[in-house]
Amino acid sequence: MRFFDLWALALGNLAAHRLRAVLTTLGIAIGIAAVIAVVAIGQGGRAVLLAELEKLGTKRAFNISVDWVRGEAPTAGTFTLQDVAVIKELSPAVDKLAPVTSGMFIDIRRPHSRAEPLFCQVIGTTPDLTGVMNIPLAAGRFFSEADVAGHRRVVVLDGALAERLFPREEALGKQVFLQDVPATVIGITERQTGQLLGTMGMQKLVFAPITFTQDLLNTRVIHELNGAAVTEGAVEQAIADCLTILEKRNPGAGVNYTGMSMAESLAILGRATGVMTLIIAAVAAIALLVGGVGVMNIMLVAVTERTREVGLLMAIGARRQDVLKQFLAEAVALCLLGGAFGVLLGAGGAWVIAYFADWPPLISLWTVLLAFGFASLVGLVFGLYPASRAASFSPAEALRHH
Amino acid sequence: MIRVTDLKKVYGHGPAAVAALNGVTLAIETGEFVAVMGPSGSGKSTFLSILGCLERPSGGSYYFGGREVGALDEDELARVRNAEIGFVFQTFNLLPRLDVRQNVELPLIYAGVPRKERRERAVAMLTRVGLEHRLHHKPPALSGGEQQRVAVARALINDPAVILADEPTGNLDSRTSHEIMALFKELHAEGRTIVVVTHEADIARYAGRILYFCDGVFVREEAVTG
Ligand SMILES: Nc1ncnc2c1ncn2[C@@H]1O[C@H](COP(=O)(O)OP(=O)(O)OP(=O)(O)O)[C@@H](O)[C@H]1O
Ligand SMILES: [Mg+2]
Repeated sequence: MRFFDLWALALGNLAAHRLRAVLTTLGIAIGIAAVIAVVAIGQGGRAVLLAELEKLGTKRAFNISVDWVRGEAPTAGTFTLQDVAVIKELSPAVDKLAPVTSGMFIDIRRPHSRAEPLFCQVIGTTPDLTGVMNIPLAAGRFFSEADVAGHRRVVVLDGALAERLFPREEALGKQVFLQDVPATVIGITERQTGQLLGTMGMQKLVFAPITFTQDLLNTRVIHELNGAAVTEGAVEQAIADCLTILEKRNPGAGVNYTGMSMAESLAILGRATGVMTLIIAAVAAIALLVGGVGVMNIMLVAVTERTREVGLLMAIGARRQDVLKQFLAEAVALCLLGGAFGVLLGAGGAWVIAYFADWPPLISLWTVLLAFGFASLVGLVFGLYPASRAASFSPAEALRHH
Repeated sequence: MIRVTDLKKVYGHGPAAVAALNGVTLAIETGEFVAVMGPSGSGKSTFLSILGCLERPSGGSYYFGGREVGALDEDELARVRNAEIGFVFQTFNLLPRLDVRQNVELPLIYAGVPRKERRERAVAMLTRVGLEHRLHHKPPALSGGEQQRVAVARALINDPAVILADEPTGNLDSRTSHEIMALFKELHAEGRTIVVVTHEADIARYAGRILYFCDGVFVREEAVTG
């Protein structure tokens, strides 16, 4: 029996029960869509993490904060600018240390503009931050220690934000109003800075001297410290030094200082996508199992319905393996059909995820081939029992069947 | 061509066992046209399906064209059914999904014949049975006589030496029955060996010899004269 004839017969048989075939493939389609989603999220998540790692620049980075998980929040005395100075003085392991006071949903507009204000997230910090993470500038400069010391009203705008505030003009050197406080634009970052920092790119970032930011927000609270150790190997030491010094200097702070290396927080993010992948993989496995059982069921029905036909085929010369192949081909074709629906469904879903999560495109040819491979495998596994049942019929008895 | 010795077939086991054939010994020569008759349940169909290698006997021996069928494996039996035997059934057994030409092509698919040759041979065979104008009809759209002609074309497609027919006219009216039997007569004239099971005496008279079965035993035979 030739390969082409085998598939022509299989497809012809499926076409004879179109509705049945389509309904049967539904489970497989969902399973395959989930397989595609697993791969897409796995690959996309990793791509994003790698990109972040690169963007964040240094593997020497670490972060000191309070124990958010236990519901702690920093107060005015938790971190001070003096703490930062002392740590940098005392710990040889710490290279850079940037305190951060940030404010969300700060309105920003052009002076005397009647347009609706835009919202941004202000990151008040020191120039040390540029040694902790990459903040590539498209124009101008980052603020200096002198700007910080002098409480100067200067800001570094996100590129996209600058473009929206000054659509057809050069933003550099212009004035903006941050909650009605005027400030001068001295730098513009490249677009898309900090997806991990800030709220997943929803709010655009504005960097400003921490002193000016604290004036603006009328607070003395420093939310966290972002640092860089002198070497990658010194990160643990740097964190330990920071914690020791902070606890010594602020014994009554009433919080648990915690430190985490950048590598560690990326690993946690990685685990989060890992858990998601696991859940969807479980969904995929269950859907494929249910779909596979559905295929097996419908193939058993088909075998019973066509018992006489099997007898006839054997009478005119079909060998047992021909009958086996024929029913297997039908099961596999069913699953491939489901696979095709699943790929469409999964690709659509992955595209939506990618669009909203700002991920790179995730569906590769390999993913699609993998999906069809899975579908065929399900067809082979669940088609084997019905097919071998058909192949085991005695031709004489099958022909007597009504 | 066909030689059976003390052929036995038992269905089931123990107290429920039914002896369908109870020691049949006979021979059918190459080019012979024989009819098999006997009361219902006498083992005619069982005999024919053993001759057609559709099932194996429980006892005795069967030589087909000089080969001991009991010694052939499953794939060899399939090849014999494909290439050396043509079956015709009372209920036609055409596949309703396939059109007439595709039905006739089926045995050639299992013989691995390429598509183009398959088509040509199927069309030629259908022309031969007078159905060249029905190539693309589905079997349910044909009359019983036409369907049986398609089945005969399918049985002939691989040019088998032996045609086995189990009550081929059982579902046909008398005029169509005689048309089909005339077709068998032509095939016999070509030198094919033909075995037809029937309940009708006038159908049996197309054969040269009639074998009578009763209770799983070959009881007597009768030469047809005139
Ligand atoms: N698969 C089977 N299992 C059990 N008994 C069977 C089976 N097939 C046939 N028999 C029995 O074997 C005997 C012979 O059956 P067979 O079909 O050969 O008779 P037949 O001569 O062709 O009858 P009919 O003229 O009614 O077609 C019958 O008693 C039948 O009931
Ligand atoms: Mg019978």
